[in-house]
Parts: sequence; C-alpha cells; structure tokens
Amino acid sequence: MGDQRDVWLVVPVYNEAPVIAEVVSEVRKTFPNVVCVDDGSRDRSDDQIRNSGAHLVRHPVNLGQGAALQTGIEYARAQPGAQYFVTFDADGQHQVQDVERMIQRLRNEPVDIVLGTRFHETTENIPFIKRFVLKTVVMLSPALRKLKLTDAHNGLRVFNRTVAENMNITLNGMGHASQIVEMIAREDWRVAEEPVTILYTEYSMAKGQSLINGVNILFDSLLRTNARR
Amino acid sequence: MLIQYILILATVLLVIFFLRHHGTTRAGAMVKLGFALFLVFGVVAVIAPDQVSHLASLVGVGRGTDLVLYFLVVAFGFATINTYLRFKELELRYARLARAVALRSAESPEPSDPENDGTLH
Repeated sequence: MGDQRDVWLVVPVYNEAPVIAEVVSEVRKTFPNVVCVDDGSRDRSDDQIRNSGAHLVRHPVNLGQGAALQTGIEYARAQPGAQYFVTFDADGQHQVQDVERMIQRLRNEPVDIVLGTRFHETTENIPFIKRFVLKTVVMLSPALRKLKLTDAHNGLRVFNRTVAENMNITLNGMGHASQIVEMIAREDWRVAEEPVTILYTEYSMAKGQSLINGVNILFDSLLRTNARR
Repeated sequence: MLIQYILILATVLLVIFFLRHHGTTRAGAMVKLGFALFLVFGVVAVIAPDQVSHLASLVGVGRGTDLVLYFLVVAFGFATINTYLRFKELELRYARLARAVALRSAESPEPSDPENDGTLH
C-alpha cells in the first residue's frame, strides 16, 4: 500500500488504558500519524498512549467526546503535510482495512467526507435494540433524510482538509454526531457512505454509549441556540 | 377558557424568543424586564388580592391564587431554560479554554524511530 503520511487519525480516549496501546500499535502499522486525545482519563491511559508512538494531547479535565474530537482535529490540521483526517474509536471496534478503503475513495473520488455505515446488506451483527434506535434516529432527522444517510452515530469518518478546516464541534458530549451531519448539510460538503464492520466485542459493549444517552443527544440538539459560537 | 390560550401562547413565544436570541444584549434586557414585571405582579397580588381575583375571573380562572400559580409555573420554566442555556454557553467556553491548554502542552512521540514518526520533517 502507498504512503499514508498525509493521513492523521484522531482517537478520542477516555479511560481506555486496557486496550488503547494495542489499538494504536495496530493502526500505526498502516497509518503512522495518530493523535490520541486523552479526555481527562483517570486510569493512566496517558501513559499507555505515550508508549504507543501516538501523539498525546491531554485535556486537563473531562470535557466529553465531541470536545475531544474537536481538539484532535485542531491538533492534526496544524501538522505539516496533513491532508486527510480520520476519526477513529479507541475501543478497537473499527477496522483498519475499512479506513484504508475510505481513504482510497477520498483520494480517487470527488467527495469531501466519507462516513462509515453499519447498515449495508447484513446487519445481523448489530444488537437488535441498537439497530432499532439507530434507525429511529435516522427517521427523525431531517438532515439525515436529506443527505440520504443511513447511520448517524458511526464513529468512523474520513474527511479532507476543507472539512477539517471548517469543523467546529460545539456540542461537547455525544450530540456531536448529529452536529457533524448538520454541518455537512449546511456547508454542502460532498458526502459518501462506506459500509464498515463494527466489532462488538465484550469490551466495547460494556463501554459503548448507553441507549439512554439518546435522550441526552436529542435534548442537546433540540435546545441549541443561534447565539454566536 | 382565555387563560389556556394566554399561557400556551406565552410559553410558545418565549421558547422561540429564547432559542433565537439567547446571548444577545437585547434578550438579556428582555429577561430582566420580564422578571421585574413578574415581581411587580407579585407585589400587587399581595397588596390587592381582590384585584388579582378580579383579573383571574376575567381570564377564566377560579381564584387569584391560581392565576399567580399559573404565572409562577411559566416563569419557573423560563428560569430553567435560561439557566440551562447559560450553562451550555459556559461549558463551551470552558471547553475552549481547556483545549487551548491541552494543545499547548501536546506531546509528540519519542523521536527514537524517526522514519516512523510520520511527520514530514
């Protein structure tokens, strides 16, 4: 495979010490540039990151995943030679091969951002309730319907400099996924979806965001103001 | 009853106003004026309960106390939304502050294997 030095992976990390080093070293076999944003972890995730060969940016306090992504993107876009950006989950549920395919599409096709989707052909590996909730989110969101997207809350995204420069996530918590979709709709970024595999390991299931969190996401998205950001 | 329309309309208008203009100087002034009006209403209710009862029967509420209660509920709702939005805004500023600190103290990996650290020197 070709040179991937113009690709930067942004990995938000919150209390992932047991797995983060392994995830990073696996990823770095293909993509040398990884920035881990330690979102104020209390389990010494930062030490694991230091030894893994990734860049480390540390929030002094816990801010939430949206804030961590924004920090990582700001760090990555300031690095010389950075052209492509990937948001990648720290718990090892994403596959490096999927990222490679998405980067390939970004390099060869006229798109600005490629989103991972779990809803292509077989969806058997997704737990039933999760599938139901994710489908409902899609049905309720006008931006998602307009863009014909099938999966709003997939953590795997690949995008180019244009998108990275204009990325401005203001929802610190889990509402950022819908906010990114709204940004895509508003800024007219050319978007594509790529089927990806999510490994629902026991570890990621235990860590994964609970469905109750959907209520928080909905609330944050509804009560957003037009105040200057 | 008239009061139902008044309360629902007031609630809807206030929510829209809040979400559109929150954070502006004008909105801040309106909130203070609304609060002052509410206080005046409270004082009047204490001094002249009969007048409030009269007003209540005009809009179709049984007693003056009920009218005061209804307005209190609306006012409380708004105080809550206002606080929520204020907190959100503070949270965002706080996040930006923390981000600036984090980016300043970012750590690059050990340059022990320079061919692998990725950046284009």
